[in-house]
Amino acid sequence: MPAPARYGAVMWLSFLLAAAATGVVFSLIDPDELRVCVNLPSLSRSGAYTVGFFLFWFFGAACGIVAVAFTYPVAPDAKSDNETAHTHD
Amino acid sequence: MTESSAAARSTPETVEQTLFEKRQKIYPREVHGTFAALRTAAVVGLLGLYYGLPWLSWNGRQAVLLDLPARKFHIFGLTFWPQDFLLLTLLLMMAALSLFLFTALAGRLWCGYACPQTVWTEVFLWMERQVEGSRMQQMKLDQAPWSARKLRIKASKHLLWLSFAAWTGFTFVSYFTPATKLAQELSSFTVGPWESFWMVFYGFATYGNAGFLREQVCKYMCPYARFQSAMFDEDTLIVSYNAARGEPRGSRKAGSDIQAQGLGACINCTMCVQVCPTGIDIRKGLQYECIGCSACVDVCNDVMKKMNYAPDLIRYTTQHAMDGKANRIIRPRVVIYAALLGTIAVLFLWLLAARSPLALDVIRDRNQLYRERAGGIENVYTLKIMNLAEHPRVFRITVSGIANLELLNSPASISVPAGTVIDVPVVLRAREAELKAVNSAVRFRLTAADDPTQSIQHDATFLGPRP
Repeated sequence: MPAPARYGAVMWLSFLLAAAATGVVFSLIDPDELRVCVNLPSLSRSGAYTVGFFLFWFFGAACGIVAVAFTYPVAPDAKSDNETAHTHD
Repeated sequence: MTESSAAARSTPETVEQTLFEKRQKIYPREVHGTFAALRTAAVVGLLGLYYGLPWLSWNGRQAVLLDLPARKFHIFGLTFWPQDFLLLTLLLMMAALSLFLFTALAGRLWCGYACPQTVWTEVFLWMERQVEGSRMQQMKLDQAPWSARKLRIKASKHLLWLSFAAWTGFTFVSYFTPATKLAQELSSFTVGPWESFWMVFYGFATYGNAGFLREQVCKYMCPYARFQSAMFDEDTLIVSYNAARGEPRGSRKAGSDIQAQGLGACINCTMCVQVCPTGIDIRKGLQYECIGCSACVDVCNDVMKKMNYAPDLIRYTTQHAMDGKANRIIRPRVVIYAALLGTIAVLFLWLLAARSPLALDVIRDRNQLYRERAGGIENVYTLKIMNLAEHPRVFRITVSGIANLELLNSPASISVPAGTVIDVPVVLRAREAELKAVNSAVRFRLTAADDPTQSIQHDATFLGPRP
């Protein structure tokens, strides 16, 4: 799979996840009532849903992007010859 | 340093190269035939529904309006509230199970005919053909150097795409803000910031996904494309090339004796490859990129007809049929998916029918535990009374749980407008002698004045001094 496609997959999956999370969380929690307990900047409900959606997307995408980057094979010259020999022999 | 470690070191390099393989743009050739007609019907039907529904009204209100700012969903005659969340969950489970069931029976029916990605890509491809011409003309235009003509054609295409995408974005937002109101706001440039944002965002997502990403969404991004094979078995419908009949493939003169030439039915015209929206060659066997759109079935049948050969060299079939075995429609996975789907559907309908048109929530005053007055011990509560019906109603409140419990400063009857929640502060008073513990359970009952059989109860605690 080409590298941009890997990150594309992360963005798309976290997008779908964010849509689902927004639905679940805001069905259970009314952002207007949340404001009574926490000091949130004044936002309309639509604004709160939007900000919530992008927060969910951001966290999902951030996790996925880092995970994809970590699972890439290490570039060969980043390791010393000794280490390589030790690993493969 | 051994040879194997040298080889191991060089491997990642080759991997790196293939990772950055450049995507070849796919120019799917236009196709006509039975399945293409079915897909066109699905595209017209589904998009007609999507773009038309916000303009349909029902009882003086938009028929389908997901009124997020008011936290109410109006779907035809029904109004859904956040407390109907379970129904939404069941609905999503039904959607997922239907997808599983259809996939087990008929393969990637969803991908080929109903997925928004396919549907919008079809429309964008159609627009591209209207502006740029056939597959060959498109390829020629892309290879040609930039000229005034090329610029004009490309600009027209993108303008057409963007207009359609803008309409898509507008329609998306009009499921949340009434379409007529949104159209008025748009014409007077007074659309709210969040509505504007979502119109632009959704419009651009459509433009990007249907205009540029296309098959890459299915190949690399779609989760369903990855796990759909788990629903497949030997009796699932798949698009497949009949290699036994087609091979050895090769070109020949029309009407020539293929048996004498030792050729199969495939004339190697590569039409099946040219029409494929994901750019695969179905003759190489079942591939995960195949979205089951059957464009290759249609085009190959056309070719077979022209050659005076029997149709269905590429066709919908099953693994069992290909192996010469009998097909079974009823099999464990189909029964399980259907049974689960049926159970959840019954539960959904039952819950929908049994929905109470009134709801009550009781919140204790948090500022004080209790207060002592001449008449006894008092507790303060706020009642949230919801009238979920589409007309105003009158309710009565009663309390029980402690002997001689009194309900103070509550009106005898409480009228609540249609589809609203009202807060009613009430005070309960109990005689100290009747309190057996610090905590006593009390029960509020809300009854509809016009129909005493409709009532709902809510338990709360009554606090008092240690007896």
